[in-house]
Amino acid sequence: MNGRLATWAVLGLVLLFLIGPFFIIIAASLSAGNSLAFPPQGLSLKWVVKVFEIESFRASFGMSMFLAIFGTLAALALGVPAAYGLNRYKVPGAEFVRTVVSAPIIVPGIIVGLALLRYLVIPTGVGIGSALFLAHTALILPYAVRVVSASLENLRTDIEEAAVLLGCTRFGAFRRVVLPNIRGGVLAAFILGFVTSFNQVPVSLFLSGPGVRTLPVDMIAYMEINYDPSVAALSALLAFMSVAIVFAAEKFLGFSKYV
Amino acid sequence: MSEFLSLEDLTLAYGGSVAVDRLNLAIRQGELIALLGPSGCGKTTTMRAIAGLLSPRSGTIRLDGKDITRVAPSRREVGLVFQSYALFPHLSVFENVAFGLRLRKEPDLAARVAEGLATVGLSDFADRAPAALSGGQQQRVALARSLVMNPKVLLLDEPLSNLDARLRLEMRMELQRVQRETGVTMVFVTHDQAEALALADRIVVMRGGAIEQVGTPEQIWTEPASGFVADFVGFETILPDPETGGALAWRPAAVTLGSGPHSGVIRGASFAGAHREYVLDTPLGVVKAETPASAPPLAPGAEVAFDLPRERAVRLASA
Repeated sequence: MNGRLATWAVLGLVLLFLIGPFFIIIAASLSAGNSLAFPPQGLSLKWVVKVFEIESFRASFGMSMFLAIFGTLAALALGVPAAYGLNRYKVPGAEFVRTVVSAPIIVPGIIVGLALLRYLVIPTGVGIGSALFLAHTALILPYAVRVVSASLENLRTDIEEAAVLLGCTRFGAFRRVVLPNIRGGVLAAFILGFVTSFNQVPVSLFLSGPGVRTLPVDMIAYMEINYDPSVAALSALLAFMSVAIVFAAEKFLGFSKYV
Repeated sequence: MSEFLSLEDLTLAYGGSVAVDRLNLAIRQGELIALLGPSGCGKTTTMRAIAGLLSPRSGTIRLDGKDITRVAPSRREVGLVFQSYALFPHLSVFENVAFGLRLRKEPDLAARVAEGLATVGLSDFADRAPAALSGGQQQRVALARSLVMNPKVLLLDEPLSNLDARLRLEMRMELQRVQRETGVTMVFVTHDQAEALALADRIVVMRGGAIEQVGTPEQIWTEPASGFVADFVGFETILPDPETGGALAWRPAAVTLGSGPHSGVIRGASFAGAHREYVLDTPLGVVKAETPASAPPLAPGAEVAFDLPRERAVRLASA
C-alpha cells in the first residue's frame, strides 16, 4: 500500500514538473500587473489583447509561420523522394546518406547557426532570409526522411508492381498507390517539422537581421527590454496552438502511430 | 503456328548471377501451364520476365506474334496474381478491381467491375476494404483485378500455397473454371507437384535455371525424363541399371517387400494411414518401399527380403 502511495507521489511530481510551468505561464499571462510575476497580481485579459497589438510580434509570427509551413513543405519535397529512394533501391552508401541527413538533429543548433552565418551568409552574400529558410529546411529534413521511411517500411513493395502491370507508369504507381498509403506518415512528418521549425531558437538567433526575425527570437528580444506579462500571454497562446495541432492530429490521423 | 507465348533463348540474371540460362518454351493459346520446381530453380524469375518486371539479359519473349521483350510491363497485356495478392490497402474491393480499367478510361466501368467480381463470387463484397477479407477472398479480388483487364496471359505466383487444404481444393476448381470460361492462357508457378499435376494442361519442370522436362501431367507422372523429375514425382528409389548404363526408378509401392532376391535392413518405418513407409539400407543403395496398412508392421533393424521388379520400373537415361 505504501509502495503504491509512493508511486503515485512520484508520478504526481513528474506531472507537476512537466505541466506546472504551463499553468504558471497561463496564470502569469492573466495578470493585471505590469511585470511578469507569479502568482499574478489581479486578473485581466489586457496582456492577451496587448500581444495582438505589438507590431513586431505580428511580423515575426508571420515569419515563423512562413518558415514552418514552407520550410516543412520544402523538406518534404526533398525528404519523401529521398526516403523512397533509400528504402526501395540498393543505393551505394545509403547508410552514409542516412547519417548525413540526420546530422542536423545531432549537431547543436548553435553550431549550425554560427556555421551558416560565418561560412554561408558572410562570404557569399546570401540574404539572411534565404539562409534562414535553407537552415529550417535542413533542420526539418531528418524528420521528414525518418518518419516517411518508417511508413514506407510498413508498405509492401509488390503493390507498386501490381499497379505497373495494371497500366501505371513507375511514377504513376508512386502517386496512385504509394503516396495514398503513406499519407499518414507524411502528415505526421509535416506536423513534427512544423513544430520543430516553429520552436527553433539557436539557429534562428544567429540568422536574424533587419526585418528577419522569428517569433521565439523576437520574444527574447522583447523580454530584454519589456519585462511585462505579454510574453507570458503569447507563450500561453502558442502552447494552446501546439496542443490543438497535436490533439487534432491524434484525433484525425492517430498521430502516435507514426512518431 | 500454334505458339502464342514463346520464350526463346531467354537468359535472366540478377546482378552477376545467372538465374535462368537460355530457356526455350512455347505455350499455346488457352493452355494452363505449370512452372514446377524447387525454390531457386528460376521459375519465379521466368514468370517475372514474362510480366516485364525483369529485363532479360538476352533472348526474346514473343506474345501473340509480337516481340514484347522490351515492351513496358504496363503495355504487355499480361496479368499477374501475386503470391501475397498485393491488393491496394487504401482502396475498396471495387476500386481495386476498377484500378486498371480507370487508367484505361473504360466507359463501362461499373458493369465490368461487377462482372469481374461476379466471376470470382464476390459481388457482395464490393464496398469492403481488402483488410476485412480472408486470404482466400483477397486472392479472388486479386484474380478479378487481373481478369477484368482481359490479359492475353494470366500469371499466377504460387496461387495455392497460402491457402489451407480445404480452400486449396476450392481455389483449384475455381481457377480451372475461370480458365474454361474465359479461355485465358494461364501460367502458374508452384513448388508442389500435386498442385501442378491436378491443375495444369502441361507441366514445365525446372531445375537450376533450365528446363528439365515439359509434358502433360500423365507424361510427367509416368515417364519422367530424368532422375530429378522422377524423384520429384515420387520415384524415390533410383538405381543405376547395369544392362543399359542408364538408371531405373521405382515408386515405393512398386517395391515388393517380404520376398525376392535382395535383402536389406529396415532403417526407418512410419505409418502413413493408408500404408506403411519403410526406408531400407541395402547393398544396392537406399530403397524406399511401402506396404498396405493391413500388412503386419516390420520393426526397424529387422532384415527383410525385397524385390525390385524391372517391369514396374521406369527407365531413365541417367541417374
